[in-house]
Amino acid sequence: MAWIPLDRNKPAFPKDAPPILTEAVREKIRFFFSRYATRRAVLLPALHVVQDALGHVSMQAMTEIAELLEIHPSEVMDTVSFYTHFWTHPKGKKVIVACRSISCEALGGQKVIDAVKQHLHVREHGTTADGTYSFMTEECLAGCDHAPCLLIGERMHKQVKPEDVPKLLADAGNDRIAAPRSDLFDAPAAKGGASNGRPGGGSSAETVGATSDIREMREA
Amino acid sequence: MANYEPILLRNRGVEGSRTLGVYELRGGYQAVRKALKMTPEEVVEEVKKANLRGRGGAGFPAGMKWSFLPKDRKTTYLCVNGDESEPPTFSNRVLMEHDPHQLIEGVIIAAYAVQAQVAYIYLRVEFHEPFHVLQRAVDEAYAKGYLGRKVFGSDFNVEVYLHRGAGAYVCGEETGLIESLEGKRGWPRIKPPFPAIEGLFRKPTIVNNVETLCNVPHIIERGAAWFTSVGPSHSTGPKLFCISGPVNKPGCYEWSMDLSVQELIEDPRFGGGMRDGKKVKCVLPGGISMGALCASELHMKMDFEDPRKFGLLGLGTAAAVVLDESIDIRIVLRNLARFYAMESCGQCTQCREGTSWMHKIADRIARGAGRLEDLDLILQTARNMGMMPGLSICGLPDGATYPIETVVKKFRGELEERIRAQPREEVGQTLAVVN
Amino acid sequence: MPKIIIDTKEIQSRDGIPVLQAALEAGWDVPHYCYHPGLSIVASCRLCLMEMKMPNPKTGELSWAPKLVPSCQTPVKEGMEVRFDSPAVKDNQKDCMEYFLLNHPLDCPVCDQAGECYLQDYSYKFGHAESRMIDPKLKNPKKDIGPKTLLYQDRCVMCTRCVRFTHEVSGTHELCVINRGSRAEIDVFPGFPLDNPLQGNVVDVCPVGSLLDKDFLFKRRVWELRSADSICPGCAAGCAIRIDHADETVYRLKPRFNPEVNDWWMCDEGRFGWKYVHDPKRITSPIVRRGMDTLTPEWSELPRMVRFRFEEHMQEEGGRGRRIGAVLSPFMSCEEAWLLAKFIREADPQAVLAVGPTPYEGEDQKFPAGVNGDASKVKFTILKEKAPNRRGVEMVLAASGGEAVDFAAFTARALKGEFSAAWIVGGYPKPWIEGDAAKLAAHFRLLVVADIFPNPLMDGAAIVLPACSWTEREGSFVNADGLVQPFSRAIQPPEGARRDEQFLFELAGYVGLASGERIRELMAEKIPAFASVYVPPAVPEHAH
Repeated sequence: MAWIPLDRNKPAFPKDAPPILTEAVREKIRFFFSRYATRRAVLLPALHVVQDALGHVSMQAMTEIAELLEIHPSEVMDTVSFYTHFWTHPKGKKVIVACRSISCEALGGQKVIDAVKQHLHVREHGTTADGTYSFMTEECLAGCDHAPCLLIGERMHKQVKPEDVPKLLADAGNDRIAAPRSDLFDAPAAKGGASNGRPGGGSSAETVGATSDIREMREA
Repeated sequence: MANYEPILLRNRGVEGSRTLGVYELRGGYQAVRKALKMTPEEVVEEVKKANLRGRGGAGFPAGMKWSFLPKDRKTTYLCVNGDESEPPTFSNRVLMEHDPHQLIEGVIIAAYAVQAQVAYIYLRVEFHEPFHVLQRAVDEAYAKGYLGRKVFGSDFNVEVYLHRGAGAYVCGEETGLIESLEGKRGWPRIKPPFPAIEGLFRKPTIVNNVETLCNVPHIIERGAAWFTSVGPSHSTGPKLFCISGPVNKPGCYEWSMDLSVQELIEDPRFGGGMRDGKKVKCVLPGGISMGALCASELHMKMDFEDPRKFGLLGLGTAAAVVLDESIDIRIVLRNLARFYAMESCGQCTQCREGTSWMHKIADRIARGAGRLEDLDLILQTARNMGMMPGLSICGLPDGATYPIETVVKKFRGELEERIRAQPREEVGQTLAVVN
Repeated sequence: MPKIIIDTKEIQSRDGIPVLQAALEAGWDVPHYCYHPGLSIVASCRLCLMEMKMPNPKTGELSWAPKLVPSCQTPVKEGMEVRFDSPAVKDNQKDCMEYFLLNHPLDCPVCDQAGECYLQDYSYKFGHAESRMIDPKLKNPKKDIGPKTLLYQDRCVMCTRCVRFTHEVSGTHELCVINRGSRAEIDVFPGFPLDNPLQGNVVDVCPVGSLLDKDFLFKRRVWELRSADSICPGCAAGCAIRIDHADETVYRLKPRFNPEVNDWWMCDEGRFGWKYVHDPKRITSPIVRRGMDTLTPEWSELPRMVRFRFEEHMQEEGGRGRRIGAVLSPFMSCEEAWLLAKFIREADPQAVLAVGPTPYEGEDQKFPAGVNGDASKVKFTILKEKAPNRRGVEMVLAASGGEAVDFAAFTARALKGEFSAAWIVGGYPKPWIEGDAAKLAAHFRLLVVADIFPNPLMDGAAIVLPACSWTEREGSFVNADGLVQPFSRAIQPPEGARRDEQFLFELAGYVGLASGERIRELMAEKIPAFASVYVPPAVPEHAH
């Protein structure tokens, strides 16, 4: 065969791998069961819980969620891949989401994006060499009154100027929100990080093996 | 322009406005007490009389929607649409951040009116802070007995759950939202059946926008007659307007719907004029999906009727983004096209392929490799999608049609000029790479 | 039976079907991808859009609505008027076809689907000649999504028929859509490949060359194939199938619509179960033994020779009380069973006839997976009875007038020496003689064995006849529900062999060309059930 197809028969992780969802995480997911008429509907909350705990939703995590919700893993992957907020591969400890909607772009959002990329030496979807930051963009963060804005972890940074970027990124608490948290969801733990950080970022190689990252649309 | 006392935003800036105590002290949770003494039908009737048109973008009357529910239903769901993903809209965020209990009160009244036992508030995931604020407010309301079983000592039970989205514009479409709530990809459903007949978990479901529901307590408290007396006769009630871009005071403001775009930009109570005295070039006054105005059209009133006269889709979310003369219109075109290419759900052919094609064309134009015929091509592609000509399941591609079409039409001169000014060899090179 | 008007012509439609289905059944070629009558309606390809007359909300007067409506999503209603011939409808079809091909690699020369591809057909009939896109095409990976199926994503039109099939019919959920917008793809979860007993149907429902059958991949251009309507012999369900063949070689089996049995589907066991047809180990010529002599006679000689041997045998054995026994295989057609039974009964009116062993494997499998309890929700069944015609052979034996027993009883009695002569027919794709049965040959003075493959009885047989696979014969099978379903011949028997029904026809004393129909006419005099056969209604010409 002249074609070299992706082999999807091959499992994404060893069959005998120990479970990666802890009992505590599973318990958090089960908490949502009573809220919805179907198990499948617990999928989005479950994915949030898992991503908060592990930093991303790996293929193995997807199969374990599927088992918990009594659905097929493909249905979990279907949902995960549709939404831009779920990541199938490890990200840095903190994920920076830059807004590039029209209000932000009109007020110099691109310069902020460039400043972040330059300062961290990452490309879009990339992770810094030390695994601290991952960088991505989003269409709109609904913070247009404070354009241009950056979301770091859970915290929205408003009216960011390119020259503020280094200081902003040096701040250790730049991903924590001021408001008291509800204990429904943990603060993102970002377990991924260093070990999976790819120097200089770049993700095209890794996304081929699994669901290709939605946001990776050819820009240039 | 007459004076106007804020209703929906009256608690903004008040110390502790997020807490139940302050909300109640300032007159909150009175409307729900009143509503619970009425029959559900009376509540529906009152909202119907007020002709409360949905604030989410489509402007469908909320009371009418409620009355579509089948009479003999057993289970009913209420979904609150807080997926606010339309650039550059942030009014729901402001409402939830500053006055979460107002929304909760609206939710209880609406749930009572439609006899929903469960209400889900669907929030976009980027709303981290609003999520926690609202969740705490819900917890407080539960603790007080305002939610859960026998609310306010009545026989009515309602559970309110927050449900977080995960980054998909199309989940703001009501059936996309329902699919997403069910744990699936947010592919909008074909209609009929409409959600009021068969929605969440295949049960009758009402989906209302956050701002719409925030109006409900005030209608109950002050009466439908009050509501219809606010603003012009065809577009009544308080309305939140967002303004962003290079104006002096970007933000969310409340007024009746007799405001013009010009006033929204220039009035010191709102936008406060352009930054650095620059001139307005283009305004997208209703969220980007409604289309663009050029500088000579700023007298457009932001109500449910006037935008159509300017070739726009409608009032939309009444969130205006102002662009000044320094911006290259090609960049605007690309930004708009990219949004829909990224957010198209991929179900219907014309939208899936059309939005991505438009982005390719707009991107090429912005990179200096545009051709004059690309303008006609992008126009044809833009017109060739959407629910209005019957070419799609949901309204997302209609939202793509209008901004692209209006920008290309209203700024065609500049686009052509910029395309003509492209260095020839550069065009050749870019095209060579492309092909 | 509502009457509706399509393009000013009034047609009668069935109740409760979409306008698209009604139009297709009435002969309109309405392009469509996502609609499949066996799957749920998603109305997402937007290719089947039509114009419809709707009452004006103000005056109530009927007039053409300004927007197009999907004909797949609109149920027929008495008196409704629609049109597919308007410029708006045609423009939409044109534009849609351009969209479908925007990112398509246009690699028809190396595509298996070419020739039966609805991108080709619709593009030619409804589309543009060229694309106006000058930008680079999106490229997607090719994926190996299961042991039997490949996915070539670039050719996909995202109709999601395949995904819906695994959700709604097989109930196995392997396929899913990933990503969104123009980056949406069909996929499986790695390590959970598409591997269910019905998976081959996803290749059939794929209207384009996106899902490919590895077994057929690059084997033959489809326009070189000829088709024969047949019935699958894989189990007693009797699914209607089509045998695609060329140069006397079978290339693939495809399901044929049959609302009484298999709807639009077939199982993989049947789909790929034909390989034995071209097995080099098949017996291809008759052998006649007499004493130490072995000869291979001409087929034209054979009926006379066989008749002579049985007459001779009856003369020798006559009056000694031993009988002729015959084992008729559940793989035989009704016609063959009738002809053979007729011959044997004529040779010995008290002959004992038996039905050969019926193979059973596991349990019946019902689909969608997991609905075993609820019969109304079952969309497809694979029966554990792995032979096509036990009921048909039993009907023939019951009507033949003498003693009929089962195979176990036959074997037991044969081993006791009750039968002096026997005619044993196999035709099973797998070895079928087990245990005591292997010792039978020694207990007959005259043994005729007809089988596809060599079996343990043949060494002791006076006459060995090569049997044919069902692709080389014609006749009818009676399925588990008692439907008499005809099947036609696709290819010639291997060189040296002969169609069973032709040989038996001559053996039974008839002359001329045997055909299923002709034999059934003869049979019907005795067994009225064979006066007519069940042929599923024709699929509308333009449906797919």
